Amino acid sequence: MDTFGLKIIASDKVFYDGRCRKMVIPAPDGEKGILPNHENMVIAVTVGIGRMEAEEGKWQEVALGGGFAEIVNNRVTLIVDTAERPEDIDIRHAREQREHAEEKLRQKQSTQEYYHTQASLARAMNRLRLAQDKKWNL
Amino acid sequence: MANIREIQSRINSVRDTMKITNAMYMISSSKMTQAKKKLMDTEPYFYALQGEISRILRHLPELEHPFFDKRGKIPAEERKIGSIVVTADKGLAGAYNHNVVKLEEEILSRPGSHKLFVVGELGRHYFAKRGVEIDTNFQYTVQKPTMHRARDIAGALLEQFQSGDLDEIYIVYTRMENSVQSEAEVMKLLPLERSSFNEMKMPLNVYREEIDLYPSAEAVMDSIVPNYVTGMIYGCLVQAYASEHNARMMAMKSATDSAESLIHDLSVIYNRVRQAAITQEITEVCGGARAQQK
Repeated sequence: MDTFGLKIIASDKVFYDGRCRKMVIPAPDGEKGILPNHENMVIAVTVGIGRMEAEEGKWQEVALGGGFAEIVNNRVTLIVDTAERPEDIDIRHAREQREHAEEKLRQKQSTQEYYHTQASLARAMNRLRLAQDKKWNL
Repeated sequence: MANIREIQSRINSVRDTMKITNAMYMISSSKMTQAKKKLMDTEPYFYALQGEISRILRHLPELEHPFFDKRGKIPAEERKIGSIVVTADKGLAGAYNHNVVKLEEEILSRPGSHKLFVVGELGRHYFAKRGVEIDTNFQYTVQKPTMHRARDIAGALLEQFQSGDLDEIYIVYTRMENSVQSEAEVMKLLPLERSSFNEMKMPLNVYREEIDLYPSAEAVMDSIVPNYVTGMIYGCLVQAYASEHNARMMAMKSATDSAESLIHDLSVIYNRVRQAAITQEITEVCGGARAQQK
């Protein structure tokens, strides 16, 4: 099967740099799949769970933050806030984050603060969703 | 010549100060290694982001977006200019704070109404004393820059920019040129300037790939630009943090060095005074003995 070049750049590290067979990323209106030789495109990426198949039959899940993906000449560059493997997620920290965000949402705040906390709640929930169904976090 | 005890106590006090400066030097140098590592980790993100925006702009030169709106109709005197000023929390860092403050003063001297967002205690005190309008809700420290803090700062500024409370946003910070040199710098954050992204000139006959923006150009810019601003602010905070510790390291090193040379000079004088006292005593004893012999 054909492959495409994939580079995932998070704000604190280069998460992945190599070949990939298939990939699914969270877009604002649902998930979007990328196969080799995709049309050139720039896609907005929202907070969510992405999946990539680097080796045949081995899907790797990634918790993604907001950002965008660019596809040019069969090369995909994903530039996002954060990118984490399920095993790297600190479940306790994520839970604290969620509680903190929920607490703040209940308080009176400006619209801007509201969107802010909402975004951070989304990030925390996303982390938890990915991490929680893995048995090594039990 | 000074009293022997005076010199002794002077040497001791210089030695104590030297211990402090030496400790500060070591703290700064360890913090600096951390900051440098952080800087290296973020650089790919920082530059990829810049590169992507410039690429998208190259393909879609007709793109209209509020973040590119220069608001040219507003005359210079009525423009609301916001600047983020990144200083240290304390002094003892040579000219580091001074350089940043000087650059900010230059911005303040331009026409328009100014508003400051100061990161770092020292700058906050300085501008509060000077009577410039400072956003008081803006209480961030410069210690250990995190993405979270950058996101907070960017969120606050983007909101004010979009609501029209600010027309231009600058950031004044210190950039690390290389491991020994750093320089204070002003950078324009918003509105984005097309020219600063279009550095690469493309020859006309080169094939340009067509890029679709999904779901729409607006949506993509909406998700890229806030990220870009956040990334820029984070990069600046990290740069400033590294420069601060670099500056403090240098200052403390030179302080330790001059303390050493001071101690050296003082101990020469101390020895000389001690020798003089001994010589005098011997002369006195000899004189006394000779007087008794007679």
